[in-house]
Amino acid sequence: MLRSIFSLLILIQSSLLFAQSDKPAVADMLTGVWETGSGKARVKIDKVGDVYTGKIVWLREPNNEEGKPKVDKNNPDENMRTKPLLGYKMLQNFVYAGDKVWEDGTIYDPESGSTYSCTITMTDDNTLDVRGYIGVTLFGRTDTWKRVMLKKK
Amino acid sequence: MFRYKLGITLILLNLTIVSTFAQETDTTEVEEDFSMYADAELADGSKRYCTFKVFDQSPNKLISVGYDFQTGYDFTFQNIQGNGSTTLKNRVNHGIRLGANVPVISTTSWLVNLGFSYWETHYDFENETAHPLAQALENSGLRTIGISGTIFKPLNEKNFVLTSFNADLNGDYTLPGFQDAGLTRISGTLVYGWKKHDRLLYGFGLSRSYRIGEANYLPVILYNYTFPSRKWGVEAIFPARANLRRTFNTRTIAMFGYELEGQTYRINQLTNNGIANAELRRSELRARITLERSLKDFLWVSFQAGFRYDWNINLDEGDRFRGFGDDAYRLENDLSNALYFNFSINLVSP
Repeated sequence: MLRSIFSLLILIQSSLLFAQSDKPAVADMLTGVWETGSGKARVKIDKVGDVYTGKIVWLREPNNEEGKPKVDKNNPDENMRTKPLLGYKMLQNFVYAGDKVWEDGTIYDPESGSTYSCTITMTDDNTLDVRGYIGVTLFGRTDTWKRVMLKKK
Repeated sequence: MFRYKLGITLILLNLTIVSTFAQETDTTEVEEDFSMYADAELADGSKRYCTFKVFDQSPNKLISVGYDFQTGYDFTFQNIQGNGSTTLKNRVNHGIRLGANVPVISTTSWLVNLGFSYWETHYDFENETAHPLAQALENSGLRTIGISGTIFKPLNEKNFVLTSFNADLNGDYTLPGFQDAGLTRISGTLVYGWKKHDRLLYGFGLSRSYRIGEANYLPVILYNYTFPSRKWGVEAIFPARANLRRTFNTRTIAMFGYELEGQTYRINQLTNNGIANAELRRSELRARITLERSLKDFLWVSFQAGFRYDWNINLDEGDRFRGFGDDAYRLENDLSNALYFNFSINLVSP
Protein backbone atom coordinates (compact mmCIF):
# COMPACT_ATOMS: atom_id res chain seq x y z
CA MET A 1 0.00 0.00 0.00
CA LEU A 2 2.73 2.43 1.00
CA ARG A 3 4.67 1.52 -2.13
CA SER A 4 1.64 2.42 -4.22
CA ILE A 5 1.27 5.81 -2.52
CA PHE A 6 4.97 6.44 -2.94
CA SER A 7 4.84 5.56 -6.64
CA LEU A 8 1.85 7.84 -7.14
CA LEU A 9 3.65 10.74 -5.44
CA ILE A 10 6.74 10.17 -7.54
CA LEU A 11 4.55 10.22 -10.64
CA ILE A 12 2.85 13.47 -9.60
CA GLN A 13 6.13 15.07 -8.72
CA SER A 14 7.70 13.98 -11.99
CA SER A 15 4.78 15.51 -13.87
CA LEU A 16 5.23 18.78 -12.02
CA LEU A 17 8.96 18.80 -12.61
CA PHE A 18 8.44 17.99 -16.28
CA ALA A 19 5.88 20.77 -16.61
CA GLN A 20 8.30 23.23 -15.08
CA SER A 21 11.17 22.29 -17.31
CA ASP A 22 9.19 22.07 -20.53
CA LYS A 23 9.57 24.76 -23.21
CA PRO A 24 7.45 27.77 -22.30
CA ALA A 25 4.02 27.76 -23.83
CA VAL A 26 3.55 30.06 -26.83
CA ALA A 27 1.63 32.47 -24.64
CA ASP A 28 4.65 32.88 -22.37
CA MET A 29 6.86 33.90 -25.29
CA LEU A 30 5.63 37.39 -24.52
CA THR A 31 7.62 37.43 -21.31
CA GLY A 32 11.03 39.01 -21.34
CA VAL A 33 12.59 42.43 -21.77
CA TRP A 34 11.57 44.54 -24.78
CA GLU A 35 12.79 47.86 -26.14
CA THR A 36 10.22 50.35 -27.45
CA GLY A 37 10.41 51.56 -31.04
CA SER A 38 11.91 54.91 -30.09
CA GLY A 39 14.58 53.20 -28.00
CA LYS A 40 13.66 55.47 -25.09
CA ALA A 41 12.57 52.69 -22.74
CA ARG A 42 12.79 49.00 -22.02
CA VAL A 43 9.83 47.11 -20.65
CA LYS A 44 9.90 43.82 -18.79
CA ILE A 45 6.82 41.70 -19.41
CA ASP A 46 5.86 39.08 -16.85
CA LYS A 47 2.96 36.76 -16.36
CA VAL A 48 1.03 37.68 -13.23
CA GLY A 49 -1.68 35.16 -12.50
CA ASP A 50 -3.58 34.67 -15.74
CA VAL A 51 -2.58 37.95 -17.35
CA TYR A 52 0.55 39.59 -18.69
CA THR A 53 1.84 42.91 -17.41
CA GLY A 54 4.84 45.00 -18.30
CA LYS A 55 6.85 47.47 -16.30
CA ILE A 56 9.46 50.02 -17.28
CA VAL A 57 12.90 48.76 -16.27
CA TRP A 58 15.16 51.14 -18.18
CA LEU A 59 14.95 54.69 -19.51
CA ARG A 60 17.40 56.25 -21.92
CA GLU A 61 16.99 59.50 -19.99
CA PRO A 62 16.20 58.35 -16.45
CA ASN A 63 16.50 61.77 -14.83
CA ASN A 64 14.50 64.95 -15.25
CA GLU A 65 15.95 68.38 -15.99
CA GLU A 66 16.75 68.77 -12.29
CA GLY A 67 18.83 65.61 -12.30
CA LYS A 68 16.31 63.68 -10.22
CA PRO A 69 14.75 60.34 -11.24
CA LYS A 70 11.74 60.87 -13.49
CA VAL A 71 8.34 60.43 -11.93
CA ASP A 72 4.93 59.96 -13.49
CA LYS A 73 4.23 63.70 -13.41
CA ASN A 74 1.66 63.61 -16.24
CA ASN A 75 -0.64 61.09 -14.61
CA PRO A 76 -4.21 62.40 -14.38
CA ASP A 77 -4.37 60.90 -10.89
CA GLU A 78 -2.55 63.38 -8.66
CA ASN A 79 -1.65 60.66 -6.18
CA MET A 80 0.41 58.90 -8.84
CA ARG A 81 2.48 61.90 -9.89
CA THR A 82 5.29 61.20 -7.46
CA LYS A 83 5.58 57.54 -8.41
CA PRO A 84 8.92 56.75 -10.13
CA LEU A 85 8.70 55.82 -13.79
CA LEU A 86 11.23 53.05 -13.29
CA GLY A 87 9.18 50.09 -12.23
CA TYR A 88 5.92 51.63 -13.45
CA LYS A 89 3.44 49.11 -14.84
CA MET A 90 2.65 50.52 -18.25
CA LEU A 91 1.13 47.32 -19.67
CA GLN A 92 -1.79 45.78 -17.83
CA ASN A 93 -4.17 42.83 -18.15
CA PHE A 94 -3.13 41.25 -21.42
CA VAL A 95 -4.71 37.89 -22.16
CA TYR A 96 -3.42 35.45 -24.74
CA ALA A 97 -5.96 35.10 -27.55
CA GLY A 98 -4.10 32.61 -29.73
CA ASP A 99 -2.09 33.03 -32.93
CA LYS A 100 0.56 35.01 -31.01
CA VAL A 101 -1.87 37.80 -30.21
CA TRP A 102 -2.43 39.21 -26.71
CA GLU A 103 -5.43 41.46 -26.27
CA ASP A 104 -7.85 43.14 -23.85
CA GLY A 105 -4.95 45.01 -22.27
CA THR A 106 -4.08 48.64 -21.80
CA ILE A 107 -0.92 50.64 -22.39
CA TYR A 108 -0.03 53.79 -20.49
CA ASP A 109 1.94 56.57 -22.17
CA PRO A 110 3.86 58.46 -19.47
CA GLU A 111 4.62 61.30 -21.91
CA SER A 112 0.95 62.20 -22.26
CA GLY A 113 -0.52 60.63 -19.14
CA SER A 114 -3.01 58.76 -21.35
CA THR A 115 -4.05 55.14 -21.21
CA TYR A 116 -5.04 53.38 -24.43
CA SER A 117 -6.63 50.09 -25.31
CA CYS A 118 -3.91 47.84 -26.66
CA THR A 119 -3.30 44.68 -28.63
CA ILE A 120 0.10 43.00 -28.92
CA THR A 121 1.03 40.84 -31.90
CA MET A 122 4.26 38.86 -32.02
CA THR A 123 5.47 39.05 -35.61
CA ASP A 124 8.55 36.95 -34.91
CA ASP A 125 10.18 35.60 -31.78
CA ASN A 126 11.98 38.90 -31.17
CA THR A 127 9.48 41.45 -32.48
CA LEU A 128 6.20 42.78 -31.12
CA ASP A 129 3.72 45.07 -32.82
CA VAL A 130 2.16 47.00 -29.94
CA ARG A 131 -0.94 48.84 -31.13
CA GLY A 132 -2.49 51.43 -28.86
CA TYR A 133 -5.88 52.62 -30.00
CA ILE A 134 -8.95 54.60 -29.11
CA GLY A 135 -12.18 52.64 -29.21
CA VAL A 136 -11.54 50.83 -32.47
CA THR A 137 -8.15 49.67 -33.69
CA LEU A 138 -8.39 51.88 -36.80
CA PHE A 139 -7.78 54.94 -34.63
CA GLY A 140 -4.46 53.95 -33.27
CA ARG A 141 -0.72 53.73 -33.65
CA THR A 142 1.53 50.72 -33.78
CA ASP A 143 4.94 50.73 -32.19
CA THR A 144 7.37 47.93 -32.98
CA TRP A 145 9.21 46.60 -29.97
CA LYS A 146 12.33 44.46 -30.10
CA ARG A 147 13.40 41.84 -27.60
CA VAL A 148 16.63 42.67 -25.82
CA MET A 149 19.08 40.23 -24.35
CA LEU A 150 20.79 41.19 -21.13
CA LYS A 151 24.53 40.94 -21.21
CA LYS A 152 25.97 38.67 -18.58
CA LYS A 153 28.30 40.38 -16.14
CA MET B 1 9.43 0.61 11.23
CA PHE B 2 12.22 1.94 9.05
CA ARG B 3 9.97 1.59 5.97
CA TYR B 4 7.28 3.70 7.66
CA LYS B 5 9.82 6.35 8.63
CA LEU B 6 11.18 6.37 5.08
CA GLY B 7 7.65 6.67 3.71
CA ILE B 8 6.77 9.61 5.96
CA THR B 9 10.08 11.31 5.09
CA LEU B 10 9.40 10.93 1.36
CA ILE B 11 5.88 12.28 1.73
CA LEU B 12 7.18 15.32 3.61
CA LEU B 13 9.92 15.76 1.01
CA ASN B 14 7.35 15.66 -1.79
CA LEU B 15 5.10 18.14 -0.07
CA THR B 16 8.10 20.42 0.39
CA ILE B 17 9.05 20.22 -3.30
CA VAL B 18 5.48 20.84 -4.46
CA SER B 19 5.21 23.72 -2.02
CA THR B 20 8.48 25.16 -3.29
CA PHE B 21 7.23 25.13 -6.90
CA ALA B 22 3.98 26.68 -5.80
CA GLN B 23 5.95 29.52 -4.24
CA GLU B 24 8.06 29.94 -7.37
CA THR B 25 4.97 30.50 -9.50
CA ASP B 26 3.62 32.99 -7.00
CA THR B 27 3.36 36.46 -8.47
CA THR B 28 4.52 38.43 -5.45
CA GLU B 29 6.75 41.27 -6.64
CA VAL B 30 10.22 41.67 -5.33
CA GLU B 31 12.51 44.66 -5.44
CA GLU B 32 14.57 44.67 -8.60
CA ASP B 33 17.97 45.98 -9.40
CA PHE B 34 17.12 48.00 -12.52
CA SER B 35 20.77 48.59 -13.36
CA MET B 36 20.91 45.08 -14.83
CA TYR B 37 18.68 46.21 -17.71
CA ALA B 38 21.04 48.94 -18.89
CA ASP B 39 23.60 46.60 -20.40
CA ALA B 40 21.67 44.88 -23.16
CA GLU B 41 21.48 44.52 -26.90
CA LEU B 42 18.71 43.83 -29.37
CA ALA B 43 18.19 40.09 -29.70
CA ASP B 44 18.50 39.93 -33.48
CA GLY B 45 20.75 42.94 -33.95
CA SER B 46 18.00 44.83 -35.76
CA LYS B 47 18.16 48.56 -36.42
CA ARG B 48 16.67 51.29 -34.31
CA TYR B 49 14.70 54.06 -35.99
CA CYS B 50 13.90 57.62 -35.07
CA THR B 51 10.34 58.81 -34.59
CA PHE B 52 8.75 61.94 -36.01
CA LYS B 53 7.77 63.37 -32.65
CA VAL B 54 9.69 65.60 -30.33
CA PHE B 55 8.78 65.93 -26.67
CA ASP B 56 5.47 67.72 -26.04
CA GLN B 57 4.64 68.13 -29.73
CA SER B 58 1.04 69.15 -30.31
CA PRO B 59 -1.21 66.12 -30.85
CA ASN B 60 -1.93 64.75 -34.31
CA LYS B 61 -5.63 65.11 -35.13
CA LEU B 62 -7.22 61.90 -36.39
CA ILE B 63 -10.66 63.43 -36.89
CA SER B 64 -11.54 67.11 -36.77
CA VAL B 65 -14.89 68.85 -36.94
CA GLY B 66 -14.56 72.61 -37.05
CA TYR B 67 -16.15 75.91 -37.92
CA ASP B 68 -14.37 78.93 -39.38
CA PHE B 69 -15.65 82.50 -39.16
CA GLN B 70 -14.36 85.84 -40.48
CA THR B 71 -15.68 89.24 -39.53
CA GLY B 72 -16.88 91.71 -42.20
CA TYR B 73 -14.55 93.38 -44.69
CA ASP B 74 -14.52 95.28 -47.99
CA PHE B 75 -14.05 93.26 -51.18
CA THR B 76 -12.84 95.37 -54.10
CA PHE B 77 -13.47 93.73 -57.49
CA GLN B 78 -11.87 94.85 -60.72
CA ASN B 79 -14.71 95.26 -63.18
CA ILE B 80 -15.04 92.54 -65.81
CA GLN B 81 -14.53 95.03 -68.62
CA GLY B 82 -11.30 96.11 -66.94
CA ASN B 83 -12.33 99.73 -66.37
CA GLY B 84 -12.41 100.64 -62.70
CA SER B 85 -13.50 98.61 -59.73
CA THR B 86 -16.46 97.92 -57.47
CA THR B 87 -16.18 97.69 -53.71
CA LEU B 88 -18.75 95.63 -51.84
CA LYS B 89 -19.14 94.92 -48.17
CA ASN B 90 -18.95 91.23 -47.28
CA ARG B 91 -20.66 90.89 -43.93
CA VAL B 92 -19.16 87.55 -43.03
CA ASN B 93 -17.28 84.46 -44.23
CA HIS B 94 -18.11 81.23 -42.51
CA GLY B 95 -18.14 77.51 -43.09
CA ILE B 96 -17.49 74.08 -41.68
CA ARG B 97 -14.13 72.36 -41.88
CA LEU B 98 -14.00 68.58 -41.61
CA GLY B 99 -10.82 66.55 -41.62
CA ALA B 100 -9.56 63.03 -41.09
CA ASN B 101 -5.98 61.84 -40.99
CA VAL B 102 -5.68 58.17 -40.14
CA PRO B 103 -2.55 56.04 -39.93
CA VAL B 104 -3.01 53.03 -42.22
CA ILE B 105 0.50 51.70 -41.74
CA SER B 106 2.12 52.46 -38.45
CA THR B 107 5.29 50.63 -37.61
CA THR B 108 8.64 51.71 -36.30
CA SER B 109 10.14 51.70 -39.79
CA TRP B 110 7.15 53.05 -41.77
CA LEU B 111 4.37 55.47 -41.03
CA VAL B 112 1.71 56.04 -43.69
CA ASN B 113 -1.28 58.29 -43.08
CA LEU B 114 -4.24 58.86 -45.38
CA GLY B 115 -6.46 61.87 -45.00
CA PHE B 116 -9.65 63.47 -46.19
CA SER B 117 -10.81 67.07 -45.92
CA TYR B 118 -13.93 69.05 -46.67
CA TRP B 119 -14.00 72.84 -46.29
CA GLU B 120 -16.75 75.32 -47.07
CA THR B 121 -16.57 79.11 -47.29
CA HIS B 122 -19.83 81.04 -47.53
CA TYR B 123 -20.15 84.72 -48.40
CA ASP B 124 -22.80 87.26 -47.45
CA PHE B 125 -22.43 90.41 -49.59
CA GLU B 126 -24.39 93.60 -49.49
CA ASN B 127 -25.65 94.16 -53.08
CA GLU B 128 -23.89 91.13 -54.56
CA THR B 129 -25.57 91.71 -57.94
CA ALA B 130 -23.18 94.61 -58.53
CA HIS B 131 -20.42 92.23 -59.67
CA PRO B 132 -20.63 88.76 -61.29
CA LEU B 133 -17.88 87.32 -59.08
CA ALA B 134 -19.66 88.53 -55.94
CA GLN B 135 -22.86 86.99 -57.30
CA ALA B 136 -21.08 83.65 -57.88
CA LEU B 137 -19.53 83.63 -54.42
CA GLU B 138 -22.83 84.57 -52.81
CA ASN B 139 -24.70 81.87 -54.72
CA SER B 140 -22.45 78.90 -54.04
CA GLY B 141 -19.55 79.90 -51.85
CA LEU B 142 -16.31 77.97 -52.23
CA ARG B 143 -15.68 74.33 -51.50
CA THR B 144 -12.64 72.11 -51.19
CA ILE B 145 -12.78 68.34 -51.13
CA GLY B 146 -9.40 66.74 -50.80
CA ILE B 147 -7.51 63.57 -50.08
CA SER B 148 -4.01 63.46 -48.72
CA GLY B 149 -1.24 61.06 -47.90
CA THR B 150 1.82 61.34 -45.70
CA ILE B 151 4.72 58.93 -45.54
CA PHE B 152 7.36 59.10 -42.84
CA LYS B 153 10.29 56.81 -43.49
CA PRO B 154 13.02 56.75 -40.84
CA LEU B 155 16.31 55.56 -42.29
CA ASN B 156 18.04 55.01 -38.96
CA GLU B 157 18.11 56.60 -35.51
CA LYS B 158 19.02 60.03 -36.90
CA ASN B 159 17.76 60.48 -40.45
CA PHE B 160 14.38 60.36 -42.10
CA VAL B 161 12.47 61.18 -45.26
CA LEU B 162 9.05 62.81 -45.08
CA THR B 163 6.81 63.09 -48.09
CA SER B 164 3.22 64.18 -48.47
CA PHE B 165 0.74 64.83 -51.25
CA ASN B 166 -2.66 66.47 -51.56
CA ALA B 167 -5.25 66.13 -54.32
CA ASP B 168 -7.94 68.81 -54.01
CA LEU B 169 -11.05 69.72 -55.93
CA ASN B 170 -11.71 73.43 -55.34
CA GLY B 171 -14.41 75.63 -56.73
CA ASP B 172 -17.89 77.10 -56.68
CA TYR B 173 -19.50 73.71 -57.21
CA THR B 174 -22.36 72.49 -55.09
CA LEU B 175 -22.94 69.03 -53.71
CA PRO B 176 -23.47 66.50 -55.11
CA GLY B 177 -22.55 68.14 -58.41
CA PHE B 178 -18.78 68.28 -57.82
CA GLN B 179 -16.47 69.20 -60.64
CA ASP B 180 -14.67 67.42 -63.40
CA ALA B 181 -11.93 65.29 -61.81
CA GLY B 182 -9.57 66.81 -64.35
CA LEU B 183 -9.65 69.99 -62.29
CA THR B 184 -8.01 68.24 -59.34
CA ARG B 185 -5.06 70.24 -58.07
CA ILE B 186 -2.05 68.28 -56.87
CA SER B 187 0.45 69.52 -54.33
CA GLY B 188 3.20 67.78 -52.42
CA THR B 189 6.28 68.06 -50.25
CA LEU B 190 9.49 66.09 -49.93
CA VAL B 191 11.77 66.65 -46.95
CA TYR B 192 15.01 65.02 -45.82
CA GLY B 193 15.52 65.41 -42.12
CA TRP B 194 17.61 64.81 -39.06
CA LYS B 195 16.42 63.90 -35.59
CA LYS B 196 19.18 65.21 -33.40
CA HIS B 197 17.60 64.20 -30.10
CA ASP B 198 14.21 63.85 -28.39
CA ARG B 199 13.70 67.62 -28.42
CA LEU B 200 14.92 68.55 -31.89
CA LEU B 201 14.27 67.50 -35.45
CA TYR B 202 14.71 69.49 -38.62
CA GLY B 203 14.77 68.99 -42.34
CA PHE B 204 15.04 70.64 -45.72
CA GLY B 205 13.08 70.00 -48.85
CA LEU B 206 10.96 71.21 -51.71
CA SER B 207 7.25 71.61 -52.17
CA ARG B 208 4.75 72.20 -54.94
CA SER B 209 2.10 74.24 -53.25
CA TYR B 210 -1.00 76.35 -53.83
CA ARG B 211 -0.68 78.20 -50.55
CA ILE B 212 -0.07 81.51 -52.31
CA GLY B 213 -3.28 80.88 -54.29
CA GLU B 214 -1.60 79.43 -57.36
CA ALA B 215 0.88 76.73 -58.23
CA ASN B 216 4.34 77.44 -56.97
CA TYR B 217 7.54 75.63 -56.08
CA LEU B 218 9.14 76.59 -52.82
CA PRO B 219 11.93 75.37 -50.56
CA VAL B 220 10.71 73.99 -47.24
CA ILE B 221 12.33 74.08 -43.82
CA LEU B 222 10.98 71.74 -41.17
CA TYR B 223 11.88 72.60 -37.60
CA ASN B 224 10.39 71.08 -34.43
CA TYR B 225 12.13 71.95 -31.20
CA THR B 226 11.30 71.78 -27.51
CA PHE B 227 13.35 73.87 -25.11
CA PRO B 228 15.07 72.05 -22.21
CA SER B 229 12.54 73.46 -19.73
CA ARG B 230 9.80 71.60 -21.73
CA LYS B 231 7.58 74.67 -21.32
CA TRP B 232 8.20 76.18 -24.75
CA GLY B 233 8.76 74.83 -28.21
CA VAL B 234 8.69 75.62 -31.91
CA GLU B 235 6.70 73.75 -34.55
CA ALA B 236 7.34 74.99 -38.07
CA ILE B 237 7.18 73.88 -41.63
CA PHE B 238 8.30 77.11 -43.20
CA PRO B 239 6.92 78.97 -45.15
CA ALA B 240 3.52 77.24 -44.77
CA ARG B 241 3.23 77.71 -41.02
CA ALA B 242 5.20 78.35 -37.87
CA ASN B 243 4.17 78.32 -34.23
CA LEU B 244 5.76 79.06 -30.91
CA ARG B 245 4.27 76.50 -28.52
CA ARG B 246 3.64 76.97 -24.81
CA THR B 247 2.98 73.73 -22.96
CA PHE B 248 1.08 74.29 -19.73
CA ASN B 249 0.71 70.54 -19.16
CA THR B 250 0.11 67.49 -21.31
CA ARG B 251 -3.55 68.45 -21.70
CA THR B 252 -3.31 72.17 -22.35
CA ILE B 253 -1.18 73.98 -24.92
CA ALA B 254 -1.16 77.39 -26.57
CA MET B 255 0.45 78.33 -29.87
CA PHE B 256 1.39 81.72 -31.28
CA GLY B 257 2.12 81.87 -34.97
CA TYR B 258 0.83 82.02 -38.47
CA GLU B 259 -0.35 79.86 -41.35
CA LEU B 260 -0.49 80.64 -45.04
CA GLU B 261 -3.67 79.08 -46.47
CA GLY B 262 -4.46 79.07 -50.15
CA GLN B 263 -5.95 77.33 -53.16
CA THR B 264 -7.04 78.09 -56.69
CA TYR B 265 -10.83 77.75 -57.08
CA ARG B 266 -12.56 77.06 -60.40
CA ILE B 267 -15.48 79.54 -60.76
CA ASN B 268 -17.75 78.03 -63.37
CA GLN B 269 -20.43 80.68 -62.96
CA LEU B 270 -18.25 83.27 -64.75
CA THR B 271 -18.30 81.38 -68.05
CA ASN B 272 -21.38 83.35 -69.09
CA ASN B 273 -19.47 86.57 -68.43
CA GLY B 274 -16.88 85.77 -71.04
CA ILE B 275 -14.19 84.41 -68.71
CA ALA B 276 -13.46 80.81 -69.64
CA ASN B 277 -11.76 78.60 -67.05
CA ALA B 278 -11.96 81.33 -64.40
CA GLU B 279 -9.97 80.51 -61.26
CA LEU B 280 -9.94 82.55 -58.08
CA ARG B 281 -6.44 82.64 -56.58
CA ARG B 282 -7.30 82.83 -52.91
CA SER B 283 -4.58 83.04 -50.29
CA GLU B 284 -4.71 84.28 -46.71
CA LEU B 285 -2.01 84.82 -44.15
CA ARG B 286 -3.48 84.04 -40.75
CA ALA B 287 -1.64 85.33 -37.70
CA ARG B 288 -3.23 83.75 -34.66
CA ILE B 289 -3.29 82.46 -31.14
CA THR B 290 -4.39 78.84 -30.75
CA LEU B 291 -5.52 77.23 -27.53
CA GLU B 292 -5.86 73.45 -27.41
CA ARG B 293 -7.13 71.48 -24.48
CA SER B 294 -8.09 67.90 -23.79
CA LEU B 295 -11.73 67.67 -22.78
CA LYS B 296 -11.49 64.03 -21.88
CA ASP B 297 -8.78 61.57 -22.80
CA PHE B 298 -8.39 61.79 -26.57
CA LEU B 299 -11.10 64.35 -27.22
CA TRP B 300 -9.55 67.77 -27.67
CA VAL B 301 -11.00 71.17 -28.32
CA SER B 302 -9.15 73.83 -30.28
CA PHE B 303 -9.91 77.54 -30.42
CA GLN B 304 -8.15 79.99 -32.73
CA ALA B 305 -8.43 83.75 -32.91
CA GLY B 306 -6.40 85.97 -35.16
CA PHE B 307 -5.94 88.40 -37.95
CA ARG B 308 -6.60 87.49 -41.58
CA TYR B 309 -4.31 89.30 -44.01
CA ASP B 310 -5.19 89.19 -47.72
CA TRP B 311 -2.28 87.64 -49.64
CA ASN B 312 -4.02 87.01 -52.95
CA ILE B 313 -7.62 87.19 -54.20
CA ASN B 314 -7.07 87.77 -57.91
CA LEU B 315 -8.88 86.04 -60.74
CA ASP B 316 -6.94 84.19 -63.41
CA GLU B 317 -7.68 81.74 -66.18
CA GLY B 318 -6.70 78.08 -65.81
CA ASP B 319 -4.05 76.55 -63.60
CA ARG B 320 -0.54 77.62 -64.37
CA PHE B 321 2.79 78.34 -62.77
CA ARG B 322 3.44 82.07 -63.00
CA GLY B 323 6.81 81.97 -61.27
CA PHE B 324 7.67 85.11 -59.40
CA GLY B 325 6.90 87.47 -62.25
CA ASP B 326 4.24 90.17 -62.14
CA ASP B 327 2.08 89.27 -65.14
CA ALA B 328 -1.31 90.94 -64.89
CA TYR B 329 -4.18 88.80 -63.65
CA ARG B 330 -7.51 88.70 -65.47
CA LEU B 331 -9.10 90.58 -62.54
CA GLU B 332 -6.97 92.15 -59.84
CA ASN B 333 -9.01 92.27 -56.65
CA ASP B 334 -8.35 93.32 -53.12
CA LEU B 335 -9.67 92.63 -49.62
CA SER B 336 -9.50 94.75 -46.53
CA ASN B 337 -8.27 92.68 -43.61
CA ALA B 338 -10.42 91.02 -40.98
CA LEU B 339 -10.44 89.15 -37.74
CA TYR B 340 -11.10 85.46 -37.79
CA PHE B 341 -12.06 82.71 -35.37
CA ASN B 342 -11.90 78.95 -35.68
CA PHE B 343 -13.32 76.37 -33.34
CA SER B 344 -12.89 72.61 -33.65
CA ILE B 345 -13.42 69.38 -31.76
CA ASN B 346 -10.78 66.78 -32.43
CA LEU B 347 -10.04 63.14 -31.81
CA VAL B 348 -6.29 62.96 -31.39
CA SER B 349 -3.86 60.15 -32.07
CA PRO B 350 -2.21 58.01 -29.38
